[in-house]
Amino acid sequence: MKTQKAELLQLELTAYRCRRNILRMIEAGHHGHFGGAFSSVDIVTALYFYKMKIDPKNPKWEGRDRFLLSAGHKCMSQYGVLAERGFFDKSVLDTYGSLYSKIPGHPDMYKLPGVEANTGALGHGLSIATGMALGLKNQGSNVYVVMGDGEQAEGSNWEAAAAAAHHRADNLVAFVDWNGLQISGRTKDVMNFAPIGEKYAAFGWAVREIDGNDMGQIVEALDAVPFEKGKPSMIIAHTVKGKGVSFLEDTAACHFWTPKGDELERAKAEVEARIAELEKAVKEAE
Amino acid sequence: MMIGEKLDPRKTFGAAIDELAEQNDRIVVMSADSGGSSGHKAFMKNHPDRYYECGIMEQGVTGIAAGLATTGKIPVFCAIAPFVTCRNYEMARNDLGYMRQNVKLVGRNSGFTYSDLGATHHSLEDFAIMRMIPGMVVLAPQDPSEIVSACKAMIEHEGPVYMRIGNPAMEVLWEQKEFVIGKGNVLTDGDDLTLVTTGTVTVDALKAVELLKSKGVSVRLIGMPTVWPLDEELLIESSKKTGKVMVVEEHYISGGLGGAIAELLGEKCPVPVKRHGIPMLYATSGPYNELLSYYKLDAPGIAETALAFLGK
Repeated sequence: MKTQKAELLQLELTAYRCRRNILRMIEAGHHGHFGGAFSSVDIVTALYFYKMKIDPKNPKWEGRDRFLLSAGHKCMSQYGVLAERGFFDKSVLDTYGSLYSKIPGHPDMYKLPGVEANTGALGHGLSIATGMALGLKNQGSNVYVVMGDGEQAEGSNWEAAAAAAHHRADNLVAFVDWNGLQISGRTKDVMNFAPIGEKYAAFGWAVREIDGNDMGQIVEALDAVPFEKGKPSMIIAHTVKGKGVSFLEDTAACHFWTPKGDELERAKAEVEARIAELEKAVKEAE
Repeated sequence: MMIGEKLDPRKTFGAAIDELAEQNDRIVVMSADSGGSSGHKAFMKNHPDRYYECGIMEQGVTGIAAGLATTGKIPVFCAIAPFVTCRNYEMARNDLGYMRQNVKLVGRNSGFTYSDLGATHHSLEDFAIMRMIPGMVVLAPQDPSEIVSACKAMIEHEGPVYMRIGNPAMEVLWEQKEFVIGKGNVLTDGDDLTLVTTGTVTVDALKAVELLKSKGVSVRLIGMPTVWPLDEELLIESSKKTGKVMVVEEHYISGGLGGAIAELLGEKCPVPVKRHGIPMLYATSGPYNELLSYYKLDAPGIAETALAFLGK
């Protein structure tokens, strides 16, 4: 099924509204893991607004698909999307960084409805997701996990990669948010894991590579999972770190961003301008 | 199971899990190339669809077990003790502890029961590190009957559990009785010394009590198959009664049952405490019985240490 242009524009608009939510959290907490949140938010938006079987009013519904962030520091991406999808009131976004907040700097499944795992230490998510997928295989639920690219250096990922393929977990769909940057610099310079798709293919996964900030390509890939029966699906999503705020895009410095001077206002202005553009485009397409 | 007979702890454990799995279809068994030698051969045959072989990847298996547990399964993962405690510690801490998942880790060939295979295969810190994970229960059954009852209690308990079992054939000490997590048992009563024992060394502790009796020392021996959480009430009551406490365990003297009891009594009932275990060194290797003797964890060694502690 070819997704209509209007639907894609609406998803893109939603992703920018989620970016607005992320900036709201950064404003409340004065800092945050911005870069990976902005690079991955198009994927997370597509999952929650287009693909996954979920019920925001009943987040523990047994028949739901599962989503987890292996790169837990990208959590503002998930929080922003969950808020937009109605899992919790947006006023919670203003508690980011404060004591007793339901949205801590790494996700906590016992604090926030919709969070499925306590991630943050890297290299855990793919194993947990594999176990979830094996446990849900007969139930018809899918498990979606977003990993980071720097995270690929954790050896435990490759344990999980082998096990998921060996046990034919074809209800498991993983993304690598390949934005090419980590704290210390370019991922290819810190520890080069390219060609990443070939590595997962060699481990027995069905792999596709997409532009992970292009809603059309994300949706098309999600329509096609599982890419191959009997194999877990891997989507290598080539993204831009900090996508959506021009002066932060593709910089290692925005991995963890503490806005200075008028930076936050400038970032908000860019996101709001894009939202206005997309609102107009959605109306025109309808 | 007859009192006095010697049984393989691994086979006893595996058979107990297989039997429980007949009644409880939530139980799944995880393997890191470790299932067959953990006594799971019957389970593999009887429940192939609930047996997850993953190869030698203890970190991965622990995470996968956590994921399975989120879907309602009760994963049991047994392997050589250091590999299910040290190797995968962060997965145990975060994926089982922090995520409160209903996974049962079982360390076999624990302590230095892997004897001549050396320090890489010994686990002399497992009590210490596992009790540092909030919500983790730590068990060390003392004979085959208690392995069976501890398995039942472990499966019935909702939450992560670490259980330690040994390697050489173990003597059946008692008729099978209900295992209550967090409760110790007074095995012999006495007034001069409280001796607390757990796991594999209890058989020698019982003999040490007889040796001490022959020297005129009356010992209150407490069997503590739950290392964590502590049976605080029983320990405080016994400390008050005897005024001196010695703890014997096949574990480093730091951080284990002796360390935990010293922490408790130091705060709530200060009495002299002697921790008797392995000094903070990588233990040497050799035949198990000779290691027990070398580290004074056999009956004469325990008795000798107790007499020295009492100044006799």
